[in-house]
Amino acid sequence: MKTWKSLMLASTLAAGLTFVAAGCAPKSAAPGGDSAQSGNQKEYVVGTDASYAPFESVDSKTQQVVGFDIDVVKAIAEKEGMKVKFVNTPWDGIFAALNNGERDFLVSAITITDERKKTMDFSDKYFEATQMIVSKDGSVKTLNDLKGKKIGVQNGTTGDTIVTDFLGKDYKGIKRYDSMPLALEALKNGDVDVAVGDNGVVIDYVKNNKADNLHTAIDPKFPKEYYGLAVKKGNTELLNKLNDGIKKINEDGTYKKIYDKYFGQQ
Amino acid sequence: MTFRWDAIQEYMPFFISGAYYTIEYTVICIILATLLGLFLGLGRLSKNPFIQGFVKMYVSFFRGTPLLVQILLFHFAVLPAFFGGKSPGAFISGIVAVTLNYAAYSSEVFRAGIQSIDRGQWEAARSLGMTQSQMMRYVVLPQAFRRMLPPLGNEAIALLKDTSLLAVIAGGELTYNARAMAGSTLLVWEPYITLAVFYYILTFLLARVVAFLERRFGTA
Repeated sequence: MKTWKSLMLASTLAAGLTFVAAGCAPKSAAPGGDSAQSGNQKEYVVGTDASYAPFESVDSKTQQVVGFDIDVVKAIAEKEGMKVKFVNTPWDGIFAALNNGERDFLVSAITITDERKKTMDFSDKYFEATQMIVSKDGSVKTLNDLKGKKIGVQNGTTGDTIVTDFLGKDYKGIKRYDSMPLALEALKNGDVDVAVGDNGVVIDYVKNNKADNLHTAIDPKFPKEYYGLAVKKGNTELLNKLNDGIKKINEDGTYKKIYDKYFGQQ
Repeated sequence: MTFRWDAIQEYMPFFISGAYYTIEYTVICIILATLLGLFLGLGRLSKNPFIQGFVKMYVSFFRGTPLLVQILLFHFAVLPAFFGGKSPGAFISGIVAVTLNYAAYSSEVFRAGIQSIDRGQWEAARSLGMTQSQMMRYVVLPQAFRRMLPPLGNEAIALLKDTSLLAVIAGGELTYNARAMAGSTLLVWEPYITLAVFYYILTFLLARVVAFLERRFGTA
């Protein structure tokens, strides 16, 4: 009798859990396949690594991908009459997903670099960024100060590249994390002495974690970077559409509105 | 699609240092997890309800949550709480998380192994006037250990592969280095194929060690 009761309880629990899980399954979590042809309008599947607030992150309430990048692409899509669907794609596999056609284009605070241009095409720039050094006491201000320090970066990002190029590939003190928040977390608990990452993300993080009292610095030597939309190499048709859209939102002030919403003086 | 051997060559030092760390994690964790697992297994068979209850809870926690979650939890929350808000470093966190997790699994192997020894053996030992701990040491554990070798060998190989999860806390092992290569070169085939080959070689070698131990000490 007793075992029967606990069995019942267990199965009820399990069923309940499944039901709840199904109930709050995020709509955006559906695995994105090839672009779906709905009716006669092509739906473009946009890959984004939604762990990079304020550019792209998952909204805790709606479970949708939101952010500066998302708003920009939505505005472009509206101007061009395109249908877009955002699919959260981890950075690790994001370029592979573009190459094998799982994603039509990418918006993910992607810096336009010559190295990347070899394997994909970029739209015109839509954002200017620079690297930022974060530390607990503000003592580290320049690239030179990084020597001999343990440095946290996000794996494969520009911050990673700049620090690796400067200190050499064999420098043991570079710790590469999955996401910028994880690298900043590692800075807080002392795994690393400094973190280096894109200004947009860092400013947002520091603003939201005032209690940690993190200090930021920009080395004027850091090159300016530009974010672009990444398209599979040779897909000029889509590239032209996106560039046209970027031009239009710049001309009619839509871009400025979005920019001020995220990075404007408050 | 060209396969870039030159990139693999260029990043070979990354893989070598990763392999070194993977072996280090594996050896240290197998030794610690086996010892801790033995004590937990004995505790699970203890007549003291508190000890038994504690082991039951311990095993149920570590078997009921993913190792990846445990690694993140220990590295970013639990251990810093013990070290005054500072992390002891990914190496220590990694060893602690993997050891505690695998101790839970191997404790069940020890429990089952000890319970599988025939009652007659206990009675025979008692009639020789042995104490409880003498029975364990001279009669039960040596026999149980033989039976436990194959499942413990499986655990060891699973542990080796699970050290790859330490990549998320920048553990410096094979997977972390392969991903660093993938991140900076934007290649996918080259780093991950090389990674698979490295793991295969390591698990193959470990399996040989386990097979040797089984031949040497196992049930004939």
